[in-house]
Amino acid sequence: MNISVVENTLAEHYCGYTQCSGHAERERERERERERASRCHGNLVANPYTNTATMSTSVAKLEKKKRRELVLRPSSGAINVSVSGLHGSTRRPNSVVASYSGRYFSVIGGSKMLEKSAIQAPRQAVRVFDEGNNDVTPRPLYQVAPGAVQAKASWFFVEEIPGGSASDQTSTTGGLIMPFFRSVLGSSRISTQSTIESMNEEIENTFSKQDMPINLPDVQKKREIVKEQVTEEMLKDIIDVYLSETSTISLLDIPNTFVSADADDAKAIIERNSQYAEVCRNRMGSHKYVDHSVQTVNGAAKNKQVQSDSITMVDAATAASSLKDMGVFGSSLNAESDLQLILSSEKFQHCFLVMERSILRNAFQPKLAAYRQLPVLEDPDSPVRPGTVEQRKEDIENSRSPALKCLWAFSCELSRGRSVSSMAWNKKNLDLLAVGYGELHSSNQKPGLVCCWSFKNLMWPERVIHCDSAVTSLDFSSNNPSQLAVGMHDGTIAVYNVQSQINISHVISSSKCPDKHLGPVWQLRWTQTELSLIEEQVESLSSVSADGRICKWFVFISDLNCTELMKLERVHNKKKKAGGNGTEKKSVLSELTPGLCFDFHPLDSGLYLVGTWEGLIHKCSCSNSQQFLQTYRKHFCPVNCIAWCPLSPELFLSCSSDWTIQLWKQDHCSPVLGFSSTQGAVYDIKWCPKWATVFGAIKEGQLEIWDLSANILDPVIVQPAAPGVTMKSLLFHTQSDCILVGDSAGHVTVYQLKNLRARESNQVNILEGLISSAASRQFCKTQPDKNRSIPTA
Amino acid sequence: MFLCCSLRSFGCSAEVEETLKRIQGQKGVQGIIIVNSEGIPIKTTLDNSSTVQYAGLIHQLVMKARSTIRDMDPQNDLTFLRVRSKKNEIMIAPDKDYFLIVIQNPSD
Repeated sequence: MNISVVENTLAEHYCGYTQCSGHAERERERERERERASRCHGNLVANPYTNTATMSTSVAKLEKKKRRELVLRPSSGAINVSVSGLHGSTRRPNSVVASYSGRYFSVIGGSKMLEKSAIQAPRQAVRVFDEGNNDVTPRPLYQVAPGAVQAKASWFFVEEIPGGSASDQTSTTGGLIMPFFRSVLGSSRISTQSTIESMNEEIENTFSKQDMPINLPDVQKKREIVKEQVTEEMLKDIIDVYLSETSTISLLDIPNTFVSADADDAKAIIERNSQYAEVCRNRMGSHKYVDHSVQTVNGAAKNKQVQSDSITMVDAATAASSLKDMGVFGSSLNAESDLQLILSSEKFQHCFLVMERSILRNAFQPKLAAYRQLPVLEDPDSPVRPGTVEQRKEDIENSRSPALKCLWAFSCELSRGRSVSSMAWNKKNLDLLAVGYGELHSSNQKPGLVCCWSFKNLMWPERVIHCDSAVTSLDFSSNNPSQLAVGMHDGTIAVYNVQSQINISHVISSSKCPDKHLGPVWQLRWTQTELSLIEEQVESLSSVSADGRICKWFVFISDLNCTELMKLERVHNKKKKAGGNGTEKKSVLSELTPGLCFDFHPLDSGLYLVGTWEGLIHKCSCSNSQQFLQTYRKHFCPVNCIAWCPLSPELFLSCSSDWTIQLWKQDHCSPVLGFSSTQGAVYDIKWCPKWATVFGAIKEGQLEIWDLSANILDPVIVQPAAPGVTMKSLLFHTQSDCILVGDSAGHVTVYQLKNLRARESNQVNILEGLISSAASRQFCKTQPDKNRSIPTA
Repeated sequence: MFLCCSLRSFGCSAEVEETLKRIQGQKGVQGIIIVNSEGIPIKTTLDNSSTVQYAGLIHQLVMKARSTIRDMDPQNDLTFLRVRSKKNEIMIAPDKDYFLIVIQNPSD
């Protein structure tokens, strides 16, 4: 809707505005203006905020002094402007028609002279009428003080600037002008009403055509540009143009400072002045100064929406505990607590166990393979070391003679320094070995130790049991494979359950038994006895001890109690006393002689042999606790070990500290064969479970392997002990050809028998043949009389 | 619950530490890594970059191996995995909460 403004008056302070000269009479003019409201072509700025109308200088060269009333009417046509001057001069046609944007400026530019006219145009009152001729004049928001002073000159200055810049442009847009205006105004800091109004006017000039809403920050009066139709009459009017000069607008005023010519820095100042003058002179053609205007483009903002999945939030809280620093990655508490949880779980420990075994199996693979009699495979990827080739050649050369090959040694820090006293296989798990450590002959008794070693973990025992006193003997039960009986130096027998490491404790102990052994328990044995009543194998524990008693133990209200199987009475040599009074006298001293070893018959568990301190071997029966069945005399030193031959049940071996080993036949009172090699007490002797003619013996400084089918005079293999170490205990492996030797340094070394010619079958026959041929050489026959002295063969 | 776990751990951790040290001292063992269920290494004896590399790659391998075993027989599950290479052997004990990885060169 075009609002036509009928201008009635001109504001006084709009000097310099071109005003139409018009009729002197106001009313006539008013009417005419109303008529012409739709016909004027002038530019008008309608000021909706005030009733007073302000006139713009759209018609540049015209000036009006007449106060006009500006009436805004909706009109479809052009905006009319009709102004009438104050001077009453005849109306002249406005020579300058409403100048639209481009032309306006050029026109305005030339209007500089008009400012002299000093027209004080009265303010115009604007009245807005809508289509229905209703007065919809907006009320003013702000009443300007009537005495406000406006600088006149500012208007032109402001005008000039746009004129200069826009002269190049054929069509300017509002966007260009407006910011410029504002910036100018802002920078000059001259904001007078006239300036603002002129600005408003100009803005509205430019926008009027485009019908854009004008929103100006200043609430000062705006001048309206009334466009009125230029009629023929108006054109003929004579218009007086009055020019007046506005006051000077100074934008920048820095007063000169004067320095006396006699001052100290006068010279410098003079120099600078001259320099500056030079600069000003050279300004025009110099390349140092470039006039450049820059325009920034305000890009249009664009809104873009993006949709994303909603983020679910989960609250998690942890509590920090003072956990020991274990070199944990990622310093989060979660990781640390995880670590602790994991490490303490059972599964992890099992996992560790498996891992350790795997690692060790890798590390010891060739040796374990040899132990298990598997072919040793060479690792194809392992780097060939220069020494191995020659070693292999050596091995091939020496492959003919029987030898012991050392595979590895069970040893750990716990066991180092302790002497091995006894070893025992587990009856069920043939890879499990119990080793007892204890100093047998020293005065200061360290607490004993039992380690259960497994062949799957060669570096650390599976179970460790600490005992009160030195361990002297061990045996695993067959009925309850996890029960381990331990005999100690102080005479206590304890039975442990080695199922799990955590709860390892003795199940039963004989420490509270009144009949317990008073001396070290030299040997223990679990035996199966068949009770006629129950007809099942009941296992019982038998022990022989240094107090001369052989006891059989049974569990009685979680305690061990024993029954005595035999008392080992001293048997005096009757021959010596024969020269005396011929009667047997019982000595007042203790009659019991320490029993050092015993062995049950492999087939008949009621029959057993006992070796005594005196050197006698007694054959006894469980059912007869008063008498020995038979006595074998040969040794004159303590009998250290007795072993029934497992493959040929009539034979047994005995070894003693008199440096000899004797092979006996059960019903012969004298040994069938005797073996002696070097000088040294024989501590242990064992039959090889696989080959009947092979047995091993431990002397003080060496291990001897005898093969009776090869040589009955000398051992086929002699393995010396490591220097400083004495061997103490011997054990054959039941299924492979390995030997375990325990020594005084706490090592249990595993050797492999190699190249024994005794690999052929029917060893037993060979043995028995040997025996019979040897026995036939004996002259006397055995008699089941323990008192008879038997000449040795 | 957390408190009792930590108490438990004090009781067992000495033994576990000892076992760890023993394993580490075995012949040819190059490194031990414990990885939690998310694949983050929580304990290691190797340097940072190797650890992270091992943890990431082995995690994938174990997942694949486990799925293979289970595909063939759903009642079955992977208990141990050994990867023998030219230079060394990697042994992995997987579990639903953790992996234990040990790298060993047995011919050292």
